[in-house]
Amino acid sequence: MRRSLLRTCAIFWSILFAVQLTMAQSRMVSGVVRDNEGRPLPGVTVKSGAYTVTTNEEGTYEITIADQENVLSFSSLGLKSQQISVNNRSTIDAVLLSTALDLDDVVVVGYGGVRKSDLTGAVATLKGSDLNKTPASSVDQLLQGKIPGVQVAISSGQPGAGATVRIRGNSSLSGSNAPLVVVDGFPWGDAGDLKQINPEDIESIEVLKDASSAAIYGSRGANGVIMVTTKKARAGTPRISLNTLNTVSTLSVKPDLWRDGIEEAVYANEAALNGGTPLSQLPYLGEVRSGVYFPSIAELRGLDPNKPQWATNTDWADLVYRNPFSQNYTLGIDGGAENTKYSMSGNYYKEEGLAIKNAYDKYTGRLNLDQKLTNAISAGTNIILTYTNNTGQNLSAGRSRIFPVYDENGNYFRTSAMDFGNPIAIANEVLNKSKTIDVLGTVFVSAKLTDWLQFRTQLSTKYGNSIGDVYEPANVTFRGYENTGYGAINNYNNNELVNENYLTIDKTFDDAHRLNVVGGFSLQNSRTRTSNLMGMNFVNDNLQNENLNSAKTKVLSNGLSASTLHSWFGRANYALLDKYLFTVTGRADGSTKFGENNKWAFFPSAAVAWKLNEESFIKDLNAFSELKLRASYGLTGNQGISPYQTLDRFGSERYYVGAQNGFMTGFGPGLAGANNDQGLTIVGGLGNKSLRWETTTSYDLGLDIGFMNQRFTLTLDYYDKHTKDLLRTRTISPSSGFDQQWVNDGEISNRGFELGFNAGIIQREELSWSVGGNFALNRNKVVAMGESDRVVTGSLIEMVRQNVNHFIIGQPMYAFYGYRSDGIIQSLEEGIEAGLTGAEAIPGEIKYMDIAGADGSPDGTIDPTYDRVVIGDPTPNFIYSFNTSVSYKRFDLNAQFYGVYGNDVFDLQKMTPSRQVQRWTPDNPSNLYPRANNTRGYKASDFFVEDGSFLRLQNVTLGYNFRPGIIKGISNIRLYASGNNLLTITKFNKGFDPEVGLDGINWGNYPRPRAYSFGVSVGF
Amino acid sequence: MKMNKIIAGICLAGIASSTFLSCSKLTEEPYGIVNSNSFYKTADDALSGLIYAYAILPEVGYYSRGYYIIMELPTENLTAKSDAGQANFELEQLRTTSTNSDLDNLWTYMYRGIARANAVITNVPNVPNMPDADRNQIIGEGYFLRALHNFNLVRLFGEVPLRLEPLVEAEQIPVAKSSISDLYDVIIADLKKGEELMSAAKNFEGRANRVAAQALLSKVYLHLASAKASGSVGYDFVANSDEMYNEALRYAGKVINDQQVFNFTDVLPDIWNTEVYKNATVSEHIFDAAVDRSGEREGNYSKLPNMFLPDPGFVMTIPYNPSDPNTETINIGRGWNHFQMEAHHYNSYHASDKRKTDLIVSEVINPDGNVIQFGINDFSRPFTRKFIDPLRDADKMSTNSPVIRYSDILLVYAEAAGPTTEAYAAVNKIRNRAGLGPLSPNLSPAAFREAIVEERAFELAFEGNRLFDLRRTNSMEKVLVEKYGKSITSGAYFFPIPQREIDSNPLIQP
Repeated sequence: MRRSLLRTCAIFWSILFAVQLTMAQSRMVSGVVRDNEGRPLPGVTVKSGAYTVTTNEEGTYEITIADQENVLSFSSLGLKSQQISVNNRSTIDAVLLSTALDLDDVVVVGYGGVRKSDLTGAVATLKGSDLNKTPASSVDQLLQGKIPGVQVAISSGQPGAGATVRIRGNSSLSGSNAPLVVVDGFPWGDAGDLKQINPEDIESIEVLKDASSAAIYGSRGANGVIMVTTKKARAGTPRISLNTLNTVSTLSVKPDLWRDGIEEAVYANEAALNGGTPLSQLPYLGEVRSGVYFPSIAELRGLDPNKPQWATNTDWADLVYRNPFSQNYTLGIDGGAENTKYSMSGNYYKEEGLAIKNAYDKYTGRLNLDQKLTNAISAGTNIILTYTNNTGQNLSAGRSRIFPVYDENGNYFRTSAMDFGNPIAIANEVLNKSKTIDVLGTVFVSAKLTDWLQFRTQLSTKYGNSIGDVYEPANVTFRGYENTGYGAINNYNNNELVNENYLTIDKTFDDAHRLNVVGGFSLQNSRTRTSNLMGMNFVNDNLQNENLNSAKTKVLSNGLSASTLHSWFGRANYALLDKYLFTVTGRADGSTKFGENNKWAFFPSAAVAWKLNEESFIKDLNAFSELKLRASYGLTGNQGISPYQTLDRFGSERYYVGAQNGFMTGFGPGLAGANNDQGLTIVGGLGNKSLRWETTTSYDLGLDIGFMNQRFTLTLDYYDKHTKDLLRTRTISPSSGFDQQWVNDGEISNRGFELGFNAGIIQREELSWSVGGNFALNRNKVVAMGESDRVVTGSLIEMVRQNVNHFIIGQPMYAFYGYRSDGIIQSLEEGIEAGLTGAEAIPGEIKYMDIAGADGSPDGTIDPTYDRVVIGDPTPNFIYSFNTSVSYKRFDLNAQFYGVYGNDVFDLQKMTPSRQVQRWTPDNPSNLYPRANNTRGYKASDFFVEDGSFLRLQNVTLGYNFRPGIIKGISNIRLYASGNNLLTITKFNKGFDPEVGLDGINWGNYPRPRAYSFGVSVGF
Repeated sequence: MKMNKIIAGICLAGIASSTFLSCSKLTEEPYGIVNSNSFYKTADDALSGLIYAYAILPEVGYYSRGYYIIMELPTENLTAKSDAGQANFELEQLRTTSTNSDLDNLWTYMYRGIARANAVITNVPNVPNMPDADRNQIIGEGYFLRALHNFNLVRLFGEVPLRLEPLVEAEQIPVAKSSISDLYDVIIADLKKGEELMSAAKNFEGRANRVAAQALLSKVYLHLASAKASGSVGYDFVANSDEMYNEALRYAGKVINDQQVFNFTDVLPDIWNTEVYKNATVSEHIFDAAVDRSGEREGNYSKLPNMFLPDPGFVMTIPYNPSDPNTETINIGRGWNHFQMEAHHYNSYHASDKRKTDLIVSEVINPDGNVIQFGINDFSRPFTRKFIDPLRDADKMSTNSPVIRYSDILLVYAEAAGPTTEAYAAVNKIRNRAGLGPLSPNLSPAAFREAIVEERAFELAFEGNRLFDLRRTNSMEKVLVEKYGKSITSGAYFFPIPQREIDSNPLIQP
């Protein structure tokens, strides 16, 4: 509305000046003004001396220049101003780059927006155009390092893998810690897998960090809120844009594998021998074992006089990994008339994985339609369609080089009947596909009831469907073997229906009192249905999972979970004299997920801000374009539990009672859930009628500073959050017959500091240089957990036979708990003296430390009760990022660095082959790496803990914008090259990327690619 | 404008539906979930609850694998393949710690079994419209199962928490350990209730009847009697060992003399023939954890035989009964070579003992028809053929795990009685079947009982009895250390209580 007014003005003024032109003795200059993506910019003010015009819908302008003038200046809200010398030219085109947000821009805050200068809470904004140009299957990945206080961990490089997003630390032990994602006012759910949105379609992303801003989302606001706003329709002649991005990737880290079969076999024999295997039964002795010939070391070396040198030396890394090629194309159109405006786009995205036969395809379509019905009523719709297709899996390259891929008959080679590790067989024969379809739609009607009162109702629906196809042939995987072929079809579908209705009052009284009030209610229904069809025992593998009914054994499972959320919400913003700002927010949520004793929750918050720059004593300094102090306090909640957790739920199992009745079905207490790493089923199903939301109380103090008309800006925030009534699955005594129960107990605190800055160091006509950065420090601490001082979390790690991540009172969440080690035992006496016995005291083993005993002092034995302590913290001390961008003439160069500092990684992959070579032997008394021993029972100890700090050159983009109109019919062309994950500086294990999940455990995930992209943007 | 009206309509409909919805109570209607509100309402529910209690037995963590790992590795019977993992070797070398995952696993399964049995014992009495006989039978089986789990627990771990009520509130979770004496009081009371409530008629496969309760009771009394008599750790509380021997004799006598549904099987391989013991009207199998190869997952079928069978790289064929010249050959597949027989056990048999010659396989026929010998120190070693299923469907097998066998009770009877004529007759019946001569006559009670325990080592080998026999006769050191040269660091008489229990149960003391 405002924009179209501007346009009308623009046209009017151009005509006016055109008329003036004929009457004055002066030159005429015309041209087109575009943004950095080549789109025409209407409404740009072009000025020369006394003359001022604005650009029209097509971005063109025509201006008169008096004889004595030689400079044209271009300016527009939200864009960097530019001065261009005319020098007798009659055509001058300009490209205006976007600046940091202007103070008058509207920031989306949930159920409405506020001017940036009127913000009272901690809200960060990112423009869609500031997202890195690199392949990313979910938008979340692109947020890494962009916003202070938003931590994004991408632990897997697998195509289609999401990211873990945290705002201001973790605050829930086992409820969700993911922020709420709201897209165009529609609450979608947890962040982390935002695949439905094409990054090219994003206008802006707002992050609500403190309680004042997030309380409007009540029981879902405690983890912060990410508001995504897609590009809106713009009136004008149709604008067509095409963006392409083609990418070639490589492994960013060279895998640490055995260099040859000899070293590998020597190690295996030595490990078996040290592990107690009799000499006659070592693996590599030149004997047939379970039908397979294992060469001897001499034969591998070519030193066996009776046999030729062993010829096989398979380079698995070469077979398993490739340099994948990925593609991304977006075609967008927008335009329309004053009454009907539209914006639509289509995207095709294909990402190939580093592992062979692993790929991810995505198609997205989007339509925004705005219709003005009367002067007061408008309606519109917003539709997104997404289709994805994921095939393949991670493959291991760590297989023995001694054996070939295929045997002499062309079958996949197996070292024994129980060998299911051939990655080529897995890549070729295992079917692992998933397809998803998402349909998201919103219809809204907004009515201006009076000039200060507006009503909006919005009905949104989200439908998500996924189908997984699995088939594992009878001789390729263990599951396939166990079942003589295993096939499955896994169906999932999810339906969300949201209706939101609210009134907005926007009124100014006596120029001094500005009031903005929002109030309304919302209803949300979620239903998730699943069904899994499994077939086992097939005649052959020909049909894969296409005819499950032909399986001898068939298993079905299905489920439905439904929840309803009813809410009332309201917010009032009051500005006094445009200096003193007050905000009060509240939301009441009633959820079916909560226990019958606690159905409704209320979350209030309040904030104040003082615009010092509006005070005359600051104005007189003439230094600050912005100086604002903010303070907020409030409550937010987290209801991150699944439905039905408050009810007791029975499990079901079958038992055989003889041929006559066969299997009978039993029901009873104890609902079997997922298996842990050791195949032990975790049993839950114990109800809790008092189960409710978690409550986070938070304070935020902020300061926004801007100099020189926002050319230099700085934002500082300090916060202190306390979360209580933590939802957690308490591990309960196995003697109860259950393993866990959902309870509310405990408390977590997060305190932190955030800083973000931007500096336009050089802003000249042909050269500009800006630098930005952010820094976030968060101190997380478990304050209380009901009756327990220490609770295990994560999963049991088979290698060390305990959980490594623990919640411990007074420690950060996920702290590593285990033994201390002190190098390697060099003599038996040393081992025994250390309190170790048996095989653990042998020279070459890890020397664990006797820290304490029953009376607090070392007791001469190493035991789990007294000798385990906190051995590491996976939470970084701080996260930082900085970026710089330079533009010179038509070139621009951007670089972004991202770093985390001070986090520990529990490196399960520590004993890589390059380290196994350096193992302890009597001749090489290493104090770093233990001897080869295949029956060692590793203890979880600081032996595995390494510094996970890193600094990464995340992205470098070099672009060139062609002169507009260089090709007829094409308004702009931009070419750019972008490199992602280019360089990582770290002390971590050389064979792996240091970025692991938030649990800080290096599981040896899918490797991360280093991506080299080439992009083209064309506007028609 | 027409459009205008449509949208206004949508708008109004939205408001109307919202208003309607906002009146609902936010109560949850669980889908596909049975719980305590909706269950135990009919006789079928009661039976289903009992079936659920039984279903824990053949789980991988219990009688389908875990029980045998824990019972057999510490003894001289079996060791594990070299890559079997730390937990197996802690058991094998008797240096168990509280973090041993195998012990944690079995502990967990036994208590899950107790929770399921408690649900039957508590809820089935309130099920309306049920014939008394059916109700009593089901409740009696619930008592039997609870007693079995508790008896296993006390023999494995000593003092453990006693849980007699279904868990409803979190406040019930912390429970202190009960004394061994209190545990036995409950075990005995439960079995006596089971004996009273259950019918003596043969029950369905895999389900207990009165005889099973009597048989288990005789084993309980024998454990108390011999542990007291030998001075085994923890059993000082038993007032009088002879009194306990008498009770053991009385209940074993009921099994031997007062019933017709279980009896002695004359041919050794027939005891272990799934097609025989599952179908015969009378068998040795007083109580089994039942499985069938038509099941969907391990626990419904068994893979236990694979643990015992070697993996020589080919499918093995063996004669069904080596003592029978006309015997057919059976195909037993190939296994995982997980358990490996120890020379100590293999070499301890009398050369003509059929339990070695007929039940331990040391030569097999490969697919080419050649006979392959296995040496006791080889990679593929001689193995027991008690657990085989010639009709196996890949890895799905119908081999029940025997919990109480007639021959076991026959030996309980003999040991409880001491050197009486009947006791000699009982043990000699077993020796005779094994092709051995009668036991030396005129043994002193102590020597006779020692001989019975030794007989049990052969007769019940690999069935999970040996460790308990050594513990209750206070002879872990005498046999394992002094005779076989093993070392014991920890867990000789009671294994350590799992760390997870200690960490999560504030009332328990390690």
